[in-house]
Amino acid sequence: MESRIRLLLLSACAVLACAGCAGHRARQARKAGRVPATVTAPQPGSDEDASADNTPPPVVVQPQVQRRTVTVPHIGARNVELGAYYGILSIENFGAQPVQGVKLDYHVTEDFFFQGAYGQARAGETSYELLSGGIQLLSSAERRFTYYDLSLGYNLLPGEIFIGHRVAMTSALYMLGGIGSVDFAGDQNFAVNFGAGFRVLPVDWLAFHVDMQDIVFRTNIFSVYKLTNNLQATVGLSVFF
Amino acid sequence: MPARAARAPLQLFVVQPYLELHTGPGRGYPVTQVVGRGESLDVLYRRTDWFKVRTEHGIEGWASVRDLAQTVLADGGPFAVDMGNLAGFRSHRWEAGAFAGAYAGATLVSAYGALSLTDNLKVEADLSQFLGNVSNGYLADIGLAHVFVPEWRISPFVTMGTGITRVQPKATYAQAIDHDDQLAYAGAGLRIYLTRRFFIRGEYRSDVVFTRTNNNEVNPEWRVGFAFFF
Repeated sequence: MESRIRLLLLSACAVLACAGCAGHRARQARKAGRVPATVTAPQPGSDEDASADNTPPPVVVQPQVQRRTVTVPHIGARNVELGAYYGILSIENFGAQPVQGVKLDYHVTEDFFFQGAYGQARAGETSYELLSGGIQLLSSAERRFTYYDLSLGYNLLPGEIFIGHRVAMTSALYMLGGIGSVDFAGDQNFAVNFGAGFRVLPVDWLAFHVDMQDIVFRTNIFSVYKLTNNLQATVGLSVFF
Repeated sequence: MPARAARAPLQLFVVQPYLELHTGPGRGYPVTQVVGRGESLDVLYRRTDWFKVRTEHGIEGWASVRDLAQTVLADGGPFAVDMGNLAGFRSHRWEAGAFAGAYAGATLVSAYGALSLTDNLKVEADLSQFLGNVSNGYLADIGLAHVFVPEWRISPFVTMGTGITRVQPKATYAQAIDHDDQLAYAGAGLRIYLTRRFFIRGEYRSDVVFTRTNNNEVNPEWRVGFAFFF
């Protein structure tokens, strides 16, 4: 009787020891992240001894989480500025006349931009024409003054303008220079332009401009080749897109 | 009910200690806000190398491309963005520029645009005006350019194509009749990377004008100017 009780106690110790080792291994595996904390319950009616030898390892519950994939949308670029201007063009020897034009800017960096401009004006009369009493040096069609230029601009003094306590508008004083062509007095001539301007943006997509520019070209209107300076002062409005 | 749902802006997350927001799209504009680590911001649009962004708290400002390049997407991946550097000079989609030069003794004013088919091969279109003592005129042409080693800062290329020319003889000369002719050209040049998105481009071309007379004209053309890529 005593031996049977001893055998029973030894069997119970062996079973507890095995269970303890299994639990320790499971805890270690869980700490290492290899095995999730949740496993499926054993099948009902299964034999513990049989499951220890023949059944496959417990099935891991697969997490029902789908990894988020981010599609980067197109970020709109607002580097193009399209505008119109109006002002005064002083055509050398032919007086100061209204001028209007359009321009297209592409802002390459925060410092530099390219500009293409096209303008037109109508020349007045020279002092000789006014004093001679009816003599016309140019026909009506030849008095049409049109030009275009391709310029590189530099934002020399970027800054801000403050109106009152709440309104701040970005601005820039810029310089630009370029090359182009002038069509005047029945002839087309190579021209160089340079000047400066001031740009104020009340909102990010709208800009007001004040520009001063000199358009220099060589002409032989009076039968002698001569370099002429044609100063232009304009105000303009442009939009960014 | 809106007719069209607004497109959701790109959301980025700050992983650096903080991200500075300027009041304008330039390095000189003051920093009035910062976005802390772990916070998100929406990217609204871009101007040159600056991005207009809106924070979680609804504050808008301008962030530089260098700062935004350090943020991450919602999935933790990096925000890949065009920085406008030497790598962009090697590989880009579009480029454009303006030139001064000479065409058959006349002064030349020219502008061009190009689309990159590969890093080496580009389709180019040019529009030029030449202004001379005897005649003025226009050139419009389209062609292909092959850049031999696009990753070099000074990169040679060859080009060839075809186009049309309109010659306008000056009225003071005899036979002052405008005429249009077809032309073909072949040339070579250099592309020299400057900084940011700028490079200098200089080239020489030999233009063959197919005139209506028995002899074709061969006109030399050279030009140099500034160009940029985007």
